[in-house]
Amino acid sequence: MFDKGAEAHRQDQPRLSVVAGAGPDTAEALLHRTALGEDDAFAALYDLMSGRVYGLCLRIVRDPAQAEEVAQEVLVEVWRTATRFDEHRGSAAAWITTIAHRRAVDRVRSAQAAGDRERRAAAESAEPEYDSVAETAAGRLEHRQVRRCLKTLTELQRQAVTLAYYGGHTYRQVASLLDAAVPTVKSRIRDGLIKLRDCLEVSR
Amino acid sequence: MSEDVHTLVGAWALDAVDADERARVERHLDACASCAQEAAELRETVARLADVTVAEPPARLRENVLAQVRRTRQEAPAARPGEAPAPGPVADLRRGPHRSRRSPRLRLALGAAALAVAAAFAGVFATWAVMQQPAGEGERIAAVLEAADAEVSYQEAEGGGRVTVITSEALDQGVVVVADLAAPGPDRSYQVWLVEEAGQVSAGVMDPGDSSATMLVEGLGDTLLVGVTNEPAGGSAEPTLPMVADVALPA
Ligand SMILES: [Zn+2]
Repeated sequence: MFDKGAEAHRQDQPRLSVVAGAGPDTAEALLHRTALGEDDAFAALYDLMSGRVYGLCLRIVRDPAQAEEVAQEVLVEVWRTATRFDEHRGSAAAWITTIAHRRAVDRVRSAQAAGDRERRAAAESAEPEYDSVAETAAGRLEHRQVRRCLKTLTELQRQAVTLAYYGGHTYRQVASLLDAAVPTVKSRIRDGLIKLRDCLEVSR
Repeated sequence: MSEDVHTLVGAWALDAVDADERARVERHLDACASCAQEAAELRETVARLADVTVAEPPARLRENVLAQVRRTRQEAPAARPGEAPAPGPVADLRRGPHRSRRSPRLRLALGAAALAVAAAFAGVFATWAVMQQPAGEGERIAAVLEAADAEVSYQEAEGGGRVTVITSEALDQGVVVVADLAAPGPDRSYQVWLVEEAGQVSAGVMDPGDSSATMLVEGLGDTLLVGVTNEPAGGSAEPTLPMVADVALPA
C-alpha cells in the first residue's frame, strides 16, 4: 500500500518557518552558530546568503570575475566577524548585505581611483543576464515588493537612491549625474529611504 | 552642523558618502540615539534593495570560501564599552545605544529575509525562472508565493537535490519546486504526487531526463504529502516505491 510505503520512508523533517526569528534555520541562528566556530552552520549560511551576496556584488562591480572575488572576501569576512553580530541591532540578512555592499562599493571606487575606467566600461556594456536568474521563487516576491515601493518615491528620490545603491556612487556623484543640487540630492536620498522604509513596513 | 549630519544619515546608509563624512556620521551616531535608531532602520531598509539582485554564484565559489574559512581565524567577540570599537560600518551600526527589543520595523524586514531564506533553501536560483512558465502560470505561482499564509516545507531528496513545497491554504494552491535531483536515468521521468489519506493522484510528470522543475498545484484539498517518484518516461498510473522525496505539508 502506497501510504504505508510513504510512511516507512517518511522522516522527521525540518519545516522552514517564514515567521521572523523562529526556528533553527534562520540566518540569525546560523550566524550565531557560525560565531561558535561551527563549520556546518557557516556552510548552511553560505547556502542561504551567497546568492544575495554574489548578486549584489555583481550588480555593483558588473564584472563576474571581480564580483566573485569580492563575494569571497565578503563571505570570509562574515565568518571572521560573526562573533560581532548582534541581532538586537538588526537582521542577519541586513548585516551581511551591508558588508557586501560596502566591499563592492570599495572595489568600484578604488578601481575608479586607479583610473581603471576602461575595464569597467567594457564590463558595463556586457551586462550579464542575471536579472532573469533573479526572478525566482521568493526572490520574485521580494522583487515585486521592493519595486512596488520604489514606485512610491518621486522620480528624483528613486533615481538618487538607485544610482547610489546599485551604481555605487556617492551622493555628490549622483548630484552631478542628475544635474541636481548636492544638498537637494542629499535630502531626497534621506526622505526617499524613509518613504521606502515605511512602504516596506506597511506591505509586510 | 548637526542638522547637516542628520540629513547625511540617508546617504551614509547607502554607502554614498566619502570617508570623512562617514567618520562624521558615525561619531554622531554614537552620541545621538534618535539618529542611531534611524540609521539602523535605514540600513535594514537599504538591505532590502538587494532583494532584486540575487544571482547564483559560480559553484566553485562555495568550495573556495569554505576552504578559506577553514584556515581563517575568527575575531574575538565585540568590544565591550571602553575598548576600541572594531572599524567598519557594521560594527559602527552596533555601537548605537543598546535597544533591548528589536523594533517592529526590523522584525518585519526579518520576515522578508526569512522568505528569501526559503527561496535559497529551495535551491531554485539557477533553475527556476518564473518568466519561463506557461502564460499566466507565472502570475499564479507568484500569487501563491505572495499569499499572506504561504508556508514553506522541504525535504532533501534521496540521491541529492531538494523538493520544496510552498502552500497557501487560503488559495488552496501550492508550488512544488524540484531542484537538482540525481539524473533519473535513461528513459525515466520524475513524477510528482499528491498523497492524502485515501490515496494519491499524479500532480504532473517531469520531462524525461529532467532533474529540476517547478509546478503549480491547484486544489490541494487534504493533501498530506507531496511525493516524488522515479518512473518510466512519461509517468505511471501508480507510483513506483520507494519515493525519492515525500514532503509533509503543514497540518
Ligand atoms: Zn542626530
